[in-house]
Amino acid sequence: MMVTLMDIAVLIKQSLDVQELRVDQDTGKIYIEEAPTKAGDIDLNAAEEAVRIKEKVGGKATAIMLSTWGASGKRLKEAKEALKRVLAMGLDDAVLIMGEEGQKADTYVVAKTLAEVIRDNYQLVLAAEGSDDNFSGLLPARIAAELDWPFIAYATALELEGEYVKVTRSLEDYEETVRVKLPAVIAVTQEINKPRVPKLMDIVKAGKKPLDQRDFTPPSEPKIAIRELKVPKVERKNVIIEGDVEEAAEKLLQALKEEGAL
Amino acid sequence: MRVLAYGDVLDLALELVAAGREISDNVVLLVAGDQEEKIQGLKGPNEVLLCKDVKSDDQESLVELITSIAQDFDAILLPNDRRGRELVGVIAHKIGGSSTTDVSSLRLENGVLVIERITLGGKAIAVEELSLPAVMTIQKGRFKPLEDIEPEVREIQAPKIERRIEVLEKKEKPRVGVPLDKAEIVVAVGRGFKKKEDLKLAYELAEILGGVVGATRPLAADLKWMEEEVWIGISGVRVAPKVLVVVGASGQQQFSAGIMDSKIVVAVNNDSSAPIFEHADYGVVMDLYQFLPALIKKLKEAKGA
Repeated sequence: MMVTLMDIAVLIKQSLDVQELRVDQDTGKIYIEEAPTKAGDIDLNAAEEAVRIKEKVGGKATAIMLSTWGASGKRLKEAKEALKRVLAMGLDDAVLIMGEEGQKADTYVVAKTLAEVIRDNYQLVLAAEGSDDNFSGLLPARIAAELDWPFIAYATALELEGEYVKVTRSLEDYEETVRVKLPAVIAVTQEINKPRVPKLMDIVKAGKKPLDQRDFTPPSEPKIAIRELKVPKVERKNVIIEGDVEEAAEKLLQALKEEGAL
Repeated sequence: MRVLAYGDVLDLALELVAAGREISDNVVLLVAGDQEEKIQGLKGPNEVLLCKDVKSDDQESLVELITSIAQDFDAILLPNDRRGRELVGVIAHKIGGSSTTDVSSLRLENGVLVIERITLGGKAIAVEELSLPAVMTIQKGRFKPLEDIEPEVREIQAPKIERRIEVLEKKEKPRVGVPLDKAEIVVAVGRGFKKKEDLKLAYELAEILGGVVGATRPLAADLKWMEEEVWIGISGVRVAPKVLVVVGASGQQQFSAGIMDSKIVVAVNNDSSAPIFEHADYGVVMDLYQFLPALIKKLKEAKGA
């Protein structure tokens, strides 16, 4: 079998940790500044898949991140931490394109920027099907269109076959296995693998791997403007039902009856 | 303003037509060849474009077809299913348009297209201004199909394409047809269940309540204890029942965003610090293996009485 050395770009997003994000229902305030950021959960699946391909056929895998959270202070530190995490998993190096805080950038602008980093340097782009904080899945699709490479989303298995990649993907109605000639952009689901947990030595080594930090200069105006973020009105009673098993069951049924729900 | 709607499932496509009508009185529905028989008597769009030589499962051809007619439209609406979500970014980029997903409302304000969508794992609603042309996916179940206009049907031809993706195998997923998004009572199960067989407790509860059973993503997609069609969350089905009973699910944000529209949420979990309790009206901090049998027994007694 022909073996191809593969250069893989893995897209890593500096995502808000939505689990830790606090919102105030009464004032409508969303505490974005206070919430930490991290590499997206499914980004780790993309990184794991890149490492597995490397282990099979060799080559190099680069983590690529574009952040507009601000080039100083805690957000820069978090961006580097997020990259270090995937470097510790086995990626070889990282490119961090850092914008100014609040810099206007949408998937159109970011795709144009990242496509220039990827073009001529990589044969395969791996990304998550969606980010933790926005879950649109638009970026890898746009990068594929910008590069004029085929785009396959919802991958649950990948297999390299020479200059081709075989992809199993999961749609609502069908599971499809497709084959595409590289270069290509593939978005993976979290079912594709189980991301490895780096050992202490890997974490130490990750700190010494190359991290190429560049400034972000938007190539054009964004096509979307976020006018506002609102807190959805979801009123929950948050009543904890006390008592032993029998009492709790009785009280719950009573409460549901009073709500007219049963 | 001219709007193009396309969906691989015709029922969903008619919801897109209704969504399009919010911003335009000229909504055109594109129909793939394999759906031709279903357009008989179809109502809602101003015009139907029928393309007989493209099938609804052929993503590559659809990208080229929609791109080739895009110049006639200001907005293109696609369903927020996986096929729609795969198309939206590619088409938007090819036509130099704006793009967004999972849109729950849309309107024109002084000629500016404004949409709303859930973001930040369900903790916020983003209000976005989109430049034209705009390509977007529309949240399922938000717009009720219209029955007013009987459209003219016009046939169009697909552009020739150079195929890059070769389909080797297609397996239809088993479907059980659980109407999760329309159910009045839903029991949602999570990893608190230790064995697949134990889910019978949830099924028993759902049966006695007259409801259906849904699951978290790990249970459906990783463990495959249940069909993927019943996975609840931002990437799966959104539920909006009168009563949702969440059993043994911690309440990860991706899941919780899919239950926001439920009227009453009950959570059963033995971990009092589980985030699901923040999203619940009534919380029971107990082992589900003790609590569910007691609850089922009480319900049976109440029914019998």
